[in-house]
Amino acid sequence: MDAGSPLGGPATSGIADALKGTLSRGAGKASQEQRRVTLILGGVLLTLGLRRISFGGVALALAGGALLYRELARRSGQAGAETNMAEVARSITIGKSADELHRFWREGGYLPRVMGHFAEITETDMDQAHWTVRVPGGRSLSWDTQVVESRPGELVRWQSLPGADLPNWGEMRLRPAPGDRGTEVTLRLHFQPPGGTLGAAVARALNGLVPSLLVGDALRRFKSLAETGEIPTLDRNPSARASTA
Amino acid sequence: MRALCWEGVNDLRVQTVPDPVIVNPHDVILRITMSTTCGSDLHFIDGYVPSMLPGDVIGHEFMGVVEDVGPEVKKVKKGDRVVVPSFVACGDCWYCQHDLYSLCDNTNPNAELQAPLLGYPTGACFGYTHAFGGYAGSHAQYMRVPHADVGCFQVPEGLRDEQVLFLSDAAPTGYMGADFCDIKPGDIVAVWGCGGVGLMAQQSAFLLGAERVIAIDRFPERLKMARDHIGSETINYVETPDVLAVLHEMTGGRGPDACIDAVGMEAYGTGPGYLYDKAKQTLRLVTDRGQALRQAIMAVRKGGTLSILGVYGVMDKFPIGVLMNKGVTVRTAQQHGQHYLPRLLEHAVKGELDPSYLATHRFSLEDGPRAYAMFKNKEDGIVRAVFTP
Repeated sequence: MDAGSPLGGPATSGIADALKGTLSRGAGKASQEQRRVTLILGGVLLTLGLRRISFGGVALALAGGALLYRELARRSGQAGAETNMAEVARSITIGKSADELHRFWREGGYLPRVMGHFAEITETDMDQAHWTVRVPGGRSLSWDTQVVESRPGELVRWQSLPGADLPNWGEMRLRPAPGDRGTEVTLRLHFQPPGGTLGAAVARALNGLVPSLLVGDALRRFKSLAETGEIPTLDRNPSARASTA
Repeated sequence: MRALCWEGVNDLRVQTVPDPVIVNPHDVILRITMSTTCGSDLHFIDGYVPSMLPGDVIGHEFMGVVEDVGPEVKKVKKGDRVVVPSFVACGDCWYCQHDLYSLCDNTNPNAELQAPLLGYPTGACFGYTHAFGGYAGSHAQYMRVPHADVGCFQVPEGLRDEQVLFLSDAAPTGYMGADFCDIKPGDIVAVWGCGGVGLMAQQSAFLLGAERVIAIDRFPERLKMARDHIGSETINYVETPDVLAVLHEMTGGRGPDACIDAVGMEAYGTGPGYLYDKAKQTLRLVTDRGQALRQAIMAVRKGGTLSILGVYGVMDKFPIGVLMNKGVTVRTAQQHGQHYLPRLLEHAVKGELDPSYLATHRFSLEDGPRAYAMFKNKEDGIVRAVFTP
């Protein structure tokens, strides 16, 4: 991939810049654990980027690759970053009632499709799910979640169970939109570092990237699935390049 | 299958690519019978718009025969001969339900990446950049069409392919541009640009009741088309340096009631854009491209309508004060083809609309690169190159 090709744009250079800033400002000192998380995140970004095969995807892959490279190239672990967390929330309006959307979210098979751009989700029962995020080199990041609160027409809230590679919690809140516009949906994701010490650099990276790529995409996927019964995709899209989609 | 692919700036090649398949339940697979060039293609061919990837299949104005249908497709059937608008629309979202199909919320797989460019993402366009979805285009033997029940319009018996092909993009874009003008009896409409979209806008203005239509371009053969096929009065702006003064006199000092800009990005393919092709400098392009639009803004009468069909990026020196003080209504959009196609097909059946004269040149798909070179350089009076894959 050629970083010099006309693939850039505000959308992606923003991401790349955020990441670059993160890397340069990033705590000069990181624990083994923080390094591991950075490696994994770099891998996630790389994987997401490669799967998207788009201008943003290319930048994302480069950014993810840079993050990986930085960590792999680091000679010695240094300690001392502050505890930091990443929390992101985004909203979208969906042309369905709050009750319908709540029912869809809780319906078996819905969550794995909505989050399919990011994680492989196996629902073990109505309230529990196993999340796996694959990263290059056959590695993966996984956790189990438990729904801790569910109020029809209002919200669903879940959190990861002890032992998660990247502890997190999330919630989907619903409120009626004005007129014939349906329901305003807010998705909030909160990531907590392993052992409570996610490095500031990683948190900043998460803050810059997660909204657009995870939360934003997840909301759009949810909306498309709820409104049309399908998610727009470039899977198996004909092109004269080796298919990685 | 064979397909015409963008491989880099000014580098088109016909390649063998995988056949498309049904991926989503509302998809159909179309066997393309006709596909045509559009001036807006020249923008990414020349490298002026970002987010193309080498290997992308291009083309967005087309028709074909349905070869395969997804499990949730209700109306479209195998064997149907259909014409399809270039923008993909779901039919279910708030925008589609308000007839604003090109603003669809649910068809752009790269919506999150496009949103920061525009504030909010638009629907997807076939065979265009990845910011506009990245779907493979129509200069190919086969094509996947998502949300087929919304996008595929069955062609009535008795219409030839070339009568229908331009109902995919040029005709609905032009018709929408004229519809935006809210034409009343006695209205005079001026149209900048006599490419496919400009000619269709002129014809549509008459269909919607305009008293007179005035066309502005620089290519004699295109101006002749406007006179002969449509009945427009014409101004060649190269021979007539003061277009504003001429328009002033032609309209009894009032100015046209509505002005349609059908230049914009298509400027590369038609009319004034020829100058910019030579210039090849982005700054010059931006500056020059503003001239047709600024002229339209100055020309339009007080309280009139400015309808913008040309595609623009970020323009400097935009005379917003002229619009404001003259109380001009500005209307613009990418085509909402799904809204206009039933009406256009009706006009075609009644013999009121036959855009087949736009198809000045035919090529096989294998000749794609040569066809685009001719189209770009306006060789041999070409208006549109048509492929029959």
